[in-house]
Amino acid sequence: MSTANFLDQDFPDEEDDDFNPQPEIASDDEGDEKAVANGGDRNGSAQQSRSRSRVPDGDDDDVKDEVEAAVANDEAEEDADGEAEAPAGADEEGEDDEDDEDEEDEDEEDEGLPSRKRRRKQARRNQFIDVEAEVDEEEDEEPEEDDDMPGEEVHPDDLQELPPGADRDDRKHRELDRQRDARQQMDLEEEAARLKERYGRQNRAAGAGSAIVPQRLLLPTQDDPRIWRMRCKPGKEKEVILGLQLRTAERANSREPIRVLSAFERSKGASDPMAGMLYIEARRVDDVVAAMEGITNMFMSFKPFMVPVEEMPDLLKVTKDKQLEPGMYVRIKRGLYQGDLGQVDEVEANGAAVVVRLVPRLDYGLHEDVNAPTTVETLPNGQKRKRVMKVQGPRPPPRLFNESEAKKKHGRYLSKQGGLGNSSWLYQNKEYVDGYLLENFRSNALQTEDVNPTLEEVSRFASTGEDGGDNLDLRQLAATLKTASGNEFLPGDKVEIFRGEQKGVSGISVQVYAEVVKIKVDPGNGSLSGAVIEAPVKELRKLFRDGDHVKVIGGTSYREEVGMVVRTKGDSVTLLTDAEQKEITVFSKDLREATDSGGAAVDSKYDLFDLVQLDAATVGIVVRVDRESLRVLDQSGSARTLLPSNISNKIEKRRNAVATDRDGNEMKHDDMVKEFSGEQKTGRVLHLYRNFLFAQNRERVENTGVWVGRHSNVLVIAAKGGKTQGSGPDLTKMNPALKQNGGAAPMPPPQFRGRDRLIGKTVKIRTGPNKGMLGIVKDATAEEAKVELHAKNKIIPVKKDMLALVDPDTGKVVEGGLHALGMGRLPPAGGAGGMPGRTPAYAQGGRTPAYAMASGGRTPAYAAAGVGSGRTPTWKQDAGGRTPAYAGGQTAYGGGGYGGGTAYGGQTSYGGATSYGGASAWGGGGGQSTWNANSGGRTPAPAGSKTPAYAGGLEAPTPGFSAPTPGGYQDQPTPGGFRDTYKTPGSYQTPGGFPETPGPYSAETPGANDDGPRYD
Amino acid sequence: MALRALRACMVCSIVQPQSKFSREGCPNCEEFLELRGNQDSIGEATSQVFEGLITLSDPLGSWVAKWQRLQDYVPGTYAIKVVGVLPDDYVSAAENAGVKYIPRDGSNIEDEA
Repeated sequence: MSTANFLDQDFPDEEDDDFNPQPEIASDDEGDEKAVANGGDRNGSAQQSRSRSRVPDGDDDDVKDEVEAAVANDEAEEDADGEAEAPAGADEEGEDDEDDEDEEDEDEEDEGLPSRKRRRKQARRNQFIDVEAEVDEEEDEEPEEDDDMPGEEVHPDDLQELPPGADRDDRKHRELDRQRDARQQMDLEEEAARLKERYGRQNRAAGAGSAIVPQRLLLPTQDDPRIWRMRCKPGKEKEVILGLQLRTAERANSREPIRVLSAFERSKGASDPMAGMLYIEARRVDDVVAAMEGITNMFMSFKPFMVPVEEMPDLLKVTKDKQLEPGMYVRIKRGLYQGDLGQVDEVEANGAAVVVRLVPRLDYGLHEDVNAPTTVETLPNGQKRKRVMKVQGPRPPPRLFNESEAKKKHGRYLSKQGGLGNSSWLYQNKEYVDGYLLENFRSNALQTEDVNPTLEEVSRFASTGEDGGDNLDLRQLAATLKTASGNEFLPGDKVEIFRGEQKGVSGISVQVYAEVVKIKVDPGNGSLSGAVIEAPVKELRKLFRDGDHVKVIGGTSYREEVGMVVRTKGDSVTLLTDAEQKEITVFSKDLREATDSGGAAVDSKYDLFDLVQLDAATVGIVVRVDRESLRVLDQSGSARTLLPSNISNKIEKRRNAVATDRDGNEMKHDDMVKEFSGEQKTGRVLHLYRNFLFAQNRERVENTGVWVGRHSNVLVIAAKGGKTQGSGPDLTKMNPALKQNGGAAPMPPPQFRGRDRLIGKTVKIRTGPNKGMLGIVKDATAEEAKVELHAKNKIIPVKKDMLALVDPDTGKVVEGGLHALGMGRLPPAGGAGGMPGRTPAYAQGGRTPAYAMASGGRTPAYAAAGVGSGRTPTWKQDAGGRTPAYAGGQTAYGGGGYGGGTAYGGQTSYGGATSYGGASAWGGGGGQSTWNANSGGRTPAPAGSKTPAYAGGLEAPTPGFSAPTPGGYQDQPTPGGFRDTYKTPGSYQTPGGFPETPGPYSAETPGANDDGPRYD
Repeated sequence: MALRALRACMVCSIVQPQSKFSREGCPNCEEFLELRGNQDSIGEATSQVFEGLITLSDPLGSWVAKWQRLQDYVPGTYAIKVVGVLPDDYVSAAENAGVKYIPRDGSNIEDEA
């Protein structure tokens, strides 16, 4: 800066400053006043004082003089002004400029900075002088004076014209200038601050002038161009816009320029309601059509629709996206992870890119095919590129990253990140931290609204807390989920307003529409009590109190669970489930007051009491089905909790599974069994598997009453159908074969256990309303049989004695067959009840002349023939009718044999027993005993005796007859055979025959024996 | 102009390929954003997340341009909404250049009636 410059600029200021700053200065220092006063007084003596001041001395007075001189000098300059102006022409221009700026506070930055500073300084000139007056800087002045010759920039002529004081004035000014510099040095900071303030203000002002016009002032008017809506192919909006832009540029200088001012689209995607919409701003509709005609993907068939003026701003409305924050949950819109839940891990500074934490879906190269076919495709630029066909395997399930699996096939793609102790891996150029995939997404590739994460999805992210604990932050989750919609609330829900002016008010919703809920306020809410108010859904949440019985209605994996509220905390409600007595925490929005009890209908592959295969050698029975898990009691008796996936398969229940119990009795499903040793647990057989059985006793608590045992350690107490096991000695052990013929055994007829043999047989109903109908016995108890009728598809219960057994092949009624089957099960009939009666009958029979005639004579002969009788006193005893059953049998026999002809025929029911007894009687028919006697010595085993007994009676004539013995019951009743044999006393009477053919008998014996077990 | 790799200037909302930003800078804001050849600046002051595309051929006559405050800008392609937050450095640079930064992500919607 040249001194002259300063001089020039200073003039006008000085004029003002001479007088204006006085009050200010006065307040500063008394000396000022003096100075000014002196200045006024000593106008004329300025030169003197100046000359004095040139002599350096530290005296105050001198300095004051100097100040006075300066003031005076100003005035002198004023005089000189007019003269100095002309020669300083070049500088004057600048001065003028600055004058202007003074008035309107300069706008131009370039010049503004220094000039303003200067002016400010100059404006305070008097003040400086005053300050300077106290600090003597005479020494500095002199060299400056030498350096900057004032005359340099003043024309010599001007100098001459200047009054003598002018030169000195210049020096003074420079002095002031210097002082100002010093001052500037000191106040740099202050100055900077002031500048900043000043410029800031200025810029704002400038901005306000151009950009900040409130948008409402920009609303379209009738004078503005109009907007027309047109349609294009959805998804191609951007391309059309770009195409139009290209076209505009192409035709800009042609004869037909595009007269469209602008065009825009608002589509966010194919599903967006704005998809396929284009908006074109133009003055005339013709311009629109002309501009859009022929652009690819435009649908010109739609006529342009002029958007009403008032709707135009809405077309350009911009709404702010939900701000993503770390921890929030989002869903991925596209790609492999489409639909997957992710957690925002990091948001890039500009908010447009997001790092999302995902549960990776990796197959670790499982579906990779090294020899995959390659295709060669030609790129647009003519180059050829080989591309490996990607084998698209099934979408891998989401699992946490497992580096050892990655190493198996893809070791080369895997590298560890960071140092020890952190599990951060780089695998196929993607980063995996703590098992999660961290991937970058654009924020528009993420779904941030309506994420609705389910609890199990969220728990995938939560399950791996650093402390291993559950770090599931429900609050955070709530933030994501806080997209309340009206359908959460139903009339009748207890709700609470949790924010807004009416916070804390509770009530019952009475009406829900859109996003507003009408609430009838509960009593106890002050003046609002009982009033019906409206509240937006956003401010509402469902209210539950401890002890409320609630049902989970959605949102989580606990859906359908019912329980009691034990705790509420804000949005989350903890409830104790009815089903499992487990505490679960869910959001109040997912709950409803429940009236029904009962747990969730668990949807599992396995049902309660299913037999399941755990591994090749282990089976188990499901004793509890939980939501996620199953409790299984395995064959060794230990119960464990398993996931359904741990179970290889379910073993279908075999309907007809049969096993033998400890005693060799048959054991089927649903039979009651009892442990032979140990706790002597009882139970109903659920499953028979290999040599294990699973039985259930509802009185037991443990494992739902299910226990496991071995076949060989249980006894059947009651077979299905109510057949009770006799409490007497287990006779079958003695001779199971006796059951058939029994004749040889000095025992009651065997009692049959296990299934009622009637089941499955074809029967005819003899009496009653259904008389004559045929059917199959489906089930039978001691008294009744359930008969499935052939004619009607119906199962009816019928008393057993109203049934007759029918040969399914011939359709003929098998006489006495039913009793043959049922006998064992009718103790009263076959037992004490029948016996006494029969004994007389027998006796009678014995006495009946007919009897006597037919066989009576033989009866004794029996005894006689039964040579063995002498040897087998027991037999004799039996024969004597001491064993009632036996005797009965005999009677029956008589009946069977002769009954038809005799009065016995009347004893039909009897006859059953009879026919049965027939066998025994028959067996008893002497021959047996004989036989017994014969073979008894060798084979005391009763089996031996039985068949021969038969044979003894029948064998010779009908050897085949004995063979079918297994069916024995059925066969046996064929009285014909009996009759025949009976009637052929010859055979009978040839006892010698028996002894003669011991071989065949014994040979048959095994056969008989073989049959025997089948009975068992 | 390929649809991918497009970026929108956060200040003026002009949409250009990243390469063009890098080669020529922002035609409206280059003075203070200095994007030319500066990938970092491009990354910070432009956004690849934007919605709504406007082609503007007459900024002075267009109401759309007036409403979007694009009147002083060059004809070209602009976005209606630009998602992203302009770092403070750039905001102050714009202010110093006398340009008022108006967020174009919809966040100032409340400020205006």
